[in-house]
Amino acid sequence: MTPSLTDFIAGWELFRDPILCGLVAGAALGMLGVFIVLRRMVFISAALSQAAGLGVALSFYAQIHLGLVGFMVDPRLGALILTLLAASMLRLEPRGRLTREGMLGLAYLVASAGTLMVGTRISQEAHDIQAILFGTGVLVRPSDTTWVLISAALVFAMVVWWRRGLIFASFDPDGAKVRGLPTTLLSFAILGAIALMVSIATRALGALPVFAFSILPAMAAIALAPSPTGALLLAACFGALGGVGGYMLAFFGQFPVGASQTLVCALLAVGAWAIRMGLNPRSSSRLSLPRA
Amino acid sequence: MITRTNPLPQTKAVLSTESLSVGYGGVPVLPPLTFSVRPGELWVLAGRNGSGKSTLLRTILGLLPAVGGTLTRPPSTSIAYLPQVQSLDPIVPMRVWDIVAEGVESGWSFLKPWITADQKQRISEALTRTGTESLAKRSFVELSEGQKQRVLLARALASSPELLLLDEPTSAMDLKAEEEAINHIADLRRELGTAVILVSHHLPAAIKAADHILFVDAEHQGVAAGGVREVLADPIFHRQFAGLTGDLCVDMLKDGHRHDA
Repeated sequence: MTPSLTDFIAGWELFRDPILCGLVAGAALGMLGVFIVLRRMVFISAALSQAAGLGVALSFYAQIHLGLVGFMVDPRLGALILTLLAASMLRLEPRGRLTREGMLGLAYLVASAGTLMVGTRISQEAHDIQAILFGTGVLVRPSDTTWVLISAALVFAMVVWWRRGLIFASFDPDGAKVRGLPTTLLSFAILGAIALMVSIATRALGALPVFAFSILPAMAAIALAPSPTGALLLAACFGALGGVGGYMLAFFGQFPVGASQTLVCALLAVGAWAIRMGLNPRSSSRLSLPRA
Repeated sequence: MITRTNPLPQTKAVLSTESLSVGYGGVPVLPPLTFSVRPGELWVLAGRNGSGKSTLLRTILGLLPAVGGTLTRPPSTSIAYLPQVQSLDPIVPMRVWDIVAEGVESGWSFLKPWITADQKQRISEALTRTGTESLAKRSFVELSEGQKQRVLLARALASSPELLLLDEPTSAMDLKAEEEAINHIADLRRELGTAVILVSHHLPAAIKAADHILFVDAEHQGVAAGGVREVLADPIFHRQFAGLTGDLCVDMLKDGHRHDA
């Protein structure tokens, strides 16, 4: 039987945390996604979310097989460390025949294979590993909600405060460097913010919706926004809409949450591009192509 | 090969090099260059494709480390760079105003939450000076190539530069537009006293407006830096660009160039 609005309201206590997580993580990742899309690094969040999965798996392994306890083996810390390690590796400039796409693929595959292999040794926690890989926004722990809120607040503050430098360095990195902007620091800051948000949100919501939040709302926003600041705001709104709308779709349609959130974000992106192409059929120039 | 400094000791150089060697991974691609650029001078950086122009330009801009020698700029020198339009990312949703506003950024200025009234004034003046004020709310990507170049020039001027480097700003223009653009740049440097280094391989119009030429040729390991007339007389330059400069070279060498003191 299809659940009704009354059922939803009656279970609000249960749904509040996952909806809040979806809303806030969607908005923060949506905003960061503008930089991910502009830097042609759309698979970075996929690679980082897999690295977060491996970090969680290794933390459980350390607890179960090495008998370690305490903060040092907290799965969130494991996820953050592995994500930061992967992000710093991906920050390196590609050299010779090693392309950034190749590095992203390597990070994704090593992290995925590592997670599955470590997962076979921690069968007690297999449910957690599955949840991380494929997403489970149905129930979110209050502690995860708190961490998502704290991380998102840091990300919002950084992006709003540094937005002019971040945008300049994305549009014309050489021009920004010539004007003395700290482009390396700006690049690390944005990668650090992505790593933080992806690691925390992956633990709470799963890899699939995190990947979707960090790509699709930004694509939609870039299609419609007249200015870079407008794109950041619009991407945050679309991300939040994807997080909440996806949860509602999952509840009323009895679908998996992560997949529903991804679908709503995808519909927003497709809709935004349809509007843009409808308004100006020749203006497909914002579809991201490889840099010359 | 000729490598000379230009003789104007009374004004302080905004850029000086002494046996500057440029290249990649410690390997020089050009012989060492020595030259000084002073306020109000217009230098043309000339050379064929693959001649080392971009390597030298990127080294002057501080985007590449020098392989050897010295490159000196007074610490407070405001430097602006007008890149090739193709190097800018077309998917960033930038309005003309957003781009020109980047010109007032310097160092950590982006940490201030809002653009100040003084900065707004500089942006507005730069738009007016380049005739782009009516485009301010337009999307950059939808402008013509000539309009884009004017917008990028406005961005460079908004930074009140003492040294302005332009990377082939007329590459997408027809001959008439190119001549107008170069004359406009020449007028601006006279009016504002800005030193200009203009990369171009459309030489006739650029040479007519220039005081000095920086000529580079990685293939034949030739470099020349100096007044227009002396560089025009350099055999490698002559051989490389005889077809491109045509009668202009001959006329200038015969009559003497107006800028050569």
